[in-house]
Amino acid sequence: MTAKLLKPAWFFNPYVQLGFGALLVTASELLLKKGATLTLSAVAVGGLSNTLGIPALASFWTWFGILTYLLSFASWIYVLRFVPLGIAFAVINVVHVLIPLGCLIFLHEPVSPRRWMGIALVVCGLLLMLQQVVKAEAKL
Amino acid sequence: MTPFAIVLCIVCQFLIVIGQLFLKRAMTPTPHPHRPAHFTLGILCLTLWFFLWLGLLAKTDLSKLFPFEGLNPALMAIAAWLLLKERMPAGAWLGLLLLCGGIALVASS
Repeated sequence: MTAKLLKPAWFFNPYVQLGFGALLVTASELLLKKGATLTLSAVAVGGLSNTLGIPALASFWTWFGILTYLLSFASWIYVLRFVPLGIAFAVINVVHVLIPLGCLIFLHEPVSPRRWMGIALVVCGLLLMLQQVVKAEAKL
Repeated sequence: MTPFAIVLCIVCQFLIVIGQLFLKRAMTPTPHPHRPAHFTLGILCLTLWFFLWLGLLAKTDLSKLFPFEGLNPALMAIAAWLLLKERMPAGAWLGLLLLCGGIALVASS
């Protein structure tokens, strides 16, 4: 009973994990963006430090983003044990839509029709390259 | 986006691909004499990628930066084409063209 509560079977379904992983990737990018933006004006340091985003480490949002990123990575490794790479890669591309949506809703970024058009082209391009990417991943 | 930021974005995608390939080499089941070097180089590339990405995030919209991530799988396919002489069908070339066009459109938005 406790085991069932701690490890619900549906949560470990690889396809559920694939969707959950996409949400984790989205969350991590939004959190890193928030941490990086918040610390931009707070700490005035030299050029290299700013280019490398070192000040962002002062924000707990950044650390929360790093944690979420690591979780998304673990989820991805788990998914690849069960789901063929071609399918997993095709589905995970949904982050290219989820992230701008998150930017619009949570960060109030102005996402213009031109930008959406570009994003649509990127997704179409990636889907057309799918087979090549799978081959490259297997052989490189 | 400044030309410098665009170059940094592209450098980021190269770093992540090179880092991943080094780590993959380091993780082969049979031990290899260069394993520690591959592992260190892989971690170095990915660390540099992460901090460059944070620096870019501080100044640029995430919705503008993220489409550049699409270059990551595309670079893998190009690497397989160049290094392993893996044949690229016309559809994949068209995909690459759409991807680059999309990124240019986003960068100029």
